[in-house]
Amino acid sequence: MFRFFFQINCLFLSCLNLINAQSCFLSIDGKISDLHDGSQIIGALVKIEGTNFFSQTDFNGKYKINGLCPGNYELTIQHPLCETIKKKIKIETSLTSNFNLEHHINELEEIILSEKKIFKLRKSVQEVSFDISQINKYGSNTMVEALNYISGASVLKTGNGIAKPVIHGMYGSRVGIVTDNFRQYDQEWGPDHAPNIDFNSFETIQLIKGAAALKYGGDTPGGLIILSSSRKKQKDSLFGNSSLILESNGKGGKISSRLEKTYSNGFNINGQLTVKRFGDFHAPNYILSNTGLEEADFSIKLGKDKITHGWNLNYSNYNIETAILKSAHIGNIEDLFFALNSNEPRLIESFTYFINAPKQKGKHQKILFNYFKLFKNQTKLEFGYNFQANRRKEFDIRRGGRTEIPAIDLLLKTHNIAGSLSGINLNEWNFEFGINSLIQDNFSNPNTGIKRLIPDYLKYETGLYFLGNFQMNNSFLWEYGLRIDHIHIDAKKFYDLSVWEEKNYATQYSSFEMQNYGNQILTNPRLNYLNFSAQTGISSKINDHFKINASYILSQRAPNASELFSDGLHHSIAAIEYGSLSLQKEISHKLLFSFLKEEGNLIWSFEPFVSKSFNYIYIEPTGLKQTIRGAFPVWEYNATDVFLVGTDFSSSYNINSQLKFDFGISYTYAQDLLKNNPLILIPPLNTFQKLKFIPKRGKWDIEIVNHLNATQNRYPDSNFQFDLIQEGQIVSQPIDISTPPPGFQRLDIYLSINLKTNKNTKSQIRMIVQNLTNTEFRDYLNRMRFYSADLGRNLQIQLNFKY
Amino acid sequence: MKNIQILFKIKFIVLAMILIHSCSKDDPAEINQQEYISNVIMEIQSSDGSSQTIDWDVSEQNTESINLIANNDYTVEISFLNSSDPNDIENVTLEVIEEADEHQVFYDFADVSVNVSSASDDIKVGSRGVLIKSIWNASSTGSGISRVYLIHQPTNFDATTREAMGGFNDVAIDIPIVVTD
Repeated sequence: MFRFFFQINCLFLSCLNLINAQSCFLSIDGKISDLHDGSQIIGALVKIEGTNFFSQTDFNGKYKINGLCPGNYELTIQHPLCETIKKKIKIETSLTSNFNLEHHINELEEIILSEKKIFKLRKSVQEVSFDISQINKYGSNTMVEALNYISGASVLKTGNGIAKPVIHGMYGSRVGIVTDNFRQYDQEWGPDHAPNIDFNSFETIQLIKGAAALKYGGDTPGGLIILSSSRKKQKDSLFGNSSLILESNGKGGKISSRLEKTYSNGFNINGQLTVKRFGDFHAPNYILSNTGLEEADFSIKLGKDKITHGWNLNYSNYNIETAILKSAHIGNIEDLFFALNSNEPRLIESFTYFINAPKQKGKHQKILFNYFKLFKNQTKLEFGYNFQANRRKEFDIRRGGRTEIPAIDLLLKTHNIAGSLSGINLNEWNFEFGINSLIQDNFSNPNTGIKRLIPDYLKYETGLYFLGNFQMNNSFLWEYGLRIDHIHIDAKKFYDLSVWEEKNYATQYSSFEMQNYGNQILTNPRLNYLNFSAQTGISSKINDHFKINASYILSQRAPNASELFSDGLHHSIAAIEYGSLSLQKEISHKLLFSFLKEEGNLIWSFEPFVSKSFNYIYIEPTGLKQTIRGAFPVWEYNATDVFLVGTDFSSSYNINSQLKFDFGISYTYAQDLLKNNPLILIPPLNTFQKLKFIPKRGKWDIEIVNHLNATQNRYPDSNFQFDLIQEGQIVSQPIDISTPPPGFQRLDIYLSINLKTNKNTKSQIRMIVQNLTNTEFRDYLNRMRFYSADLGRNLQIQLNFKY
Repeated sequence: MKNIQILFKIKFIVLAMILIHSCSKDDPAEINQQEYISNVIMEIQSSDGSSQTIDWDVSEQNTESINLIANNDYTVEISFLNSSDPNDIENVTLEVIEEADEHQVFYDFADVSVNVSSASDDIKVGSRGVLIKSIWNASSTGSGISRVYLIHQPTNFDATTREAMGGFNDVAIDIPIVVTD
């Protein structure tokens, strides 16, 4: 209505203006952008109807028309790929007017599905993104292998089946994983807890170093890994892909398949299935007894994806059972001493597919709903709801037929809602704000017959964020973001009365006491944390080939349930772990730079960072505790201040049209400032070199990759002494759990052959050899290094079909 | 108008969050620790009829020593208890006997020399004695340590050292020992 009146008003005024038309030195300029993703549209024609005035947009999507007289005009904006728009406009003074064009529907899907489909989350922070199918080629353990090709990222492993990402020397609660717009909530705190996600049900993976993506939280000083589904085609079509991977090491493989149906009205449905099965893996010289795994996952996604609005409803179900090397199950530090002194695992049996205790079982179910609406002015409203249920069971070797009863049995349920408003544009300024909130319920099943490692608790979290950027021109952008989170933890935990008193909790936290059970006391710790996080950075294009990003990130993280409440025996390192109620939030400052150069045949990026954290929570050995099973080292969570500095470099060089050489190297220095000690479990200097050959006419290519890990010489001394009885004498022996293993080199070869099939299907065969030289090595970031060498040679055959 | 709608939607989200916030949780059940061993009891009977009982209790300071006379045979019967619930003391030895095929009691000594053999009424798996009941004979005088093990799933039952035996410790405690003339 208003617009209508306004237009009438304009028409009326135009008569007056035409009469007074004398001073014809006015101009109109502006920018033409894509309605869908905001990118500039080059070569659009801006015409003033009825005149000879026109302008064509330049490489920045900008146009300018000079020499206009005051008056009313009709502008036509045309582009061969877009719907033409006409706009009435009144010119009294020179003005800037920006327009958005919408692509023709048939063009749109190409735009959406082109390389642009991975949107950068924060422009002032360098991110690494991949198409999942691109990284799938590295084998059945997608994520692990993929991260080996990203400088600055590594993997913390427990054997072969359990792997979690490490970014800038941090892991666990300091690295977040986001799937389809929601954070993943499983028992992420444990170094031997792998994320319960099937990577095959997503299309893209993005890695952001540092807590820059405040939309998803400000508590991940390490970084974020974001998995997402791509936008769907708007046409009637049915397509899918399947892959079969067979591997010699572990004598197993993976089958995954995915089918997707899309309709022209934007509706789409897809289903995905993954099955994995492996028996005992082997090191170069022996079988790693009890290391098999079984996985079965499926997901169903339903949605409607229009340009201006869309929704999706997903359900996914992930099930995994992983055996843990039997030789790693130890009774006390004496067993640990014997294991460390033995070059081989203490138990080597013949190959089997059976998965016996010790083992882990994980089940993760997720339901999510997302909705978005895009308004004409490019403002986007999004909201969503997500429910996740994570069941984690750990089985130990137990007496009296209890091996089949889990020793740890946790059920974590998370409800999460989120809403945001983005793309609010005011000239060069762009804003986004949003809210998300969750409630988490952790239940520790008492039927284990073993004291709870993690107690029952409820956790409430609400976060508000505000993000913005200022795009001065195409070569300079300033970005900032603020986030505030409130976290409330309401736990119910039994403490041994002796521990409760010894730690002085009885006086400090007497208000938490609920009921005395004799040897134990039931308590109700209620803890609150208020966290502020922020990010600001600039992105500057020095010229067409050179770009610099610089960013400052403040992140604050509340201690997790393990850091606060842990209470029990961790079998794999024979340690009794205690949490601490008095831990405060961890505060990290990080400065992150990236220099990117793309010129001719060479692309390189150099990304240094510096970070200082206060109240950095870590676990340290504090003494020995005598139990009926002998002496155990006690490890307690504590806080310190740490300093990290590191740099990642990666480059890619096209030697000629057939040969390509990639190189990456990264190093992190980490120091405990209060103790003046290095930090534990920091990846050593590591590098990879990759040479790829693509013949001129052939339908194949070959890649040779060399990984080199140096020896980590900076580590804290966590060794302790233990009295061994040797030949009738007590001998005090050191137990060395600190010294990292020597560095190693690993060579892999990938051969891909594209097979000719008909035009609707594509198939490909890959042959891969990993650890070609069958080198025996131990990886500092593999917790099984105390007990066995890493994997020996592995032959893989992959068959991939796209239809 | 649209902005108002958006505001309403956000308010709705906030309201939903407040609703979610208002729930509570039942008190957790106390855990009855099942496999736990809290006491190791050793009944040491000399051939002349005198006897000594050692009760090694995990929740106490244990200083009592085993007293033997050199070159005398003693029958030593070991048992394991779970007394974490004083009203329901559980005899774990029965479980060990039931799974005798994967358990072994083992004694190691420092600074004293004691010969240990399976008693005639010991629990046997084939010809192997589990050493629930054993015969001790000290060959020289002195004082030292006896290290008492209950080993689960040893890989080599016939080994003579703890290291060679493999498996993992369910019990490993030190009891002082004094051998006199």
